[in-house]
Amino acid sequence: MNAPVPLAITEEEFQKFRDFFYRKTGIHFEENKRYFVDKRLIDRILATNNTSFRNYFVMLRFETSGKELQQLINIMTVNETYFFREEYQFTCLVNSVLNEIVTRKRPSEPIRIWSLPSSSGEEPYSLAIYLLEYWPRVDDYAIELIASDIDTTMLEKARQGRYDQRSVAHLPPPLLRKYFTALYDGSYQINDDLRQSVDFTQVNLSDLAQMRAYRDFDVVFCRNLLIYFDDTSRRIAAETLFNALNPGGFICLGHSESMSRITPLFKVRKFPEAIIYQKPR
Amino acid sequence: MTLIKKHDATGDAPREFRHQSRDRAGLLCQLEADAPEQRRWAALDLAAFSDAADALCDRLEQETQTPVREAILTSLIQIGGNPVVCGLMPLLRSEDAALRNQVIEALQQLPEAVSPYIERMLADDDADYRIFAINVLANLRHPQAPAWLQDVIERDDNINACAAAVDGLAEIGTPEAIPALTALPERFADDPFMQFCTQTAIRRIQGHGA
Repeated sequence: MNAPVPLAITEEEFQKFRDFFYRKTGIHFEENKRYFVDKRLIDRILATNNTSFRNYFVMLRFETSGKELQQLINIMTVNETYFFREEYQFTCLVNSVLNEIVTRKRPSEPIRIWSLPSSSGEEPYSLAIYLLEYWPRVDDYAIELIASDIDTTMLEKARQGRYDQRSVAHLPPPLLRKYFTALYDGSYQINDDLRQSVDFTQVNLSDLAQMRAYRDFDVVFCRNLLIYFDDTSRRIAAETLFNALNPGGFICLGHSESMSRITPLFKVRKFPEAIIYQKPR
Repeated sequence: MTLIKKHDATGDAPREFRHQSRDRAGLLCQLEADAPEQRRWAALDLAAFSDAADALCDRLEQETQTPVREAILTSLIQIGGNPVVCGLMPLLRSEDAALRNQVIEALQQLPEAVSPYIERMLADDDADYRIFAINVLANLRHPQAPAWLQDVIERDDNINACAAAVDGLAEIGTPEAIPALTALPERFADDPFMQFCTQTAIRRIQGHGA
């Protein structure tokens, strides 16, 4: 009896899948990701009891629930976070966005920034550090940093503020020394002032009743979350984020995400450092 | 340190100035309010009422504000089902191109609910309406979608409807559509464009790009 022929993805199949995945998610795989993509595709072909790419691809495109596409998105996207990830958006915040926001703020009015999903806290703490270090007008305004996640375990980890070497690897060494204490086990403890500066809350972005209370934000960082949602959930999330922003407020998505593909509610704003989205005034 | 922590993360704006109660009747009243912001909130809250589809579709037809339209469509997609599809289908005849496109995108997100109506839509007397139905199919997550498009290129006499179906097949067609695509240019022998677009679609289906 012959052994079964191991599954392999041909060049044409890879191209076909790559085009499809890009249309669905905006995520484009370069040739150098071929091994990464092929391996995960084959895993899903086998897990769904298909015998070929072709059968699997037909199922993927026409499955009305979209569950398999969601599974695929989950394994094709690397869910990682670290300090100063996609730093160009923080640069855009301090060089362009905040200066525009304060033109319509009264001196006593706080600037409100929301980070979600905050995961283990790297993003909101990065925002705090970036503001303190790089926004010259930081002392002129009260700034509220709210960080939210659906996962209470992650929120607890964020509140503790203890990170491994990988998480802090992109921080400039002077900032690492200034805001962290190196611990004996090789991890880093963020300092208490920063821990106290971020308000962590648990939210479910799909829960309209809960989200109704989240309002008056000037900037929202919602990066690499919407790619995990199906079309309807993504649309609901976009409505929720629109409701949460002040008129003229800004929203930053992950580099592979596009609000324009979800809804016409937001304007695209091109700043020197980044393209982000704005709620019309 | 000017970063401040508030115990209430949810902002300082007044939370509620409700003129209508948040039940179905109150929300339907609010859906006709003068202020777009109020209409938008009413539309979002009406997602919880499956029997609000007719009122939402009626409002959608008159509504000119994008945020309100988007809220209505989001709620209609959440409600789903036949009443929503039946309420949206006539809007494909609207003179408002933006509204038609929004309705096409909404119908695409309701594959199971829209599928019983596809054959009727593809048999409509109005070729423009058929083209909009084909546009729905081109991005409809339904296993019948390629077969419906193939049916169009085999039967429809309108060249623009057939060209739209060929475009759709280029995206979602399977090798089963190739004989019908190969035969199509003969029906429109005077039009070299049809030859070009069917060849492009066949190449894409075969995985040769373009």
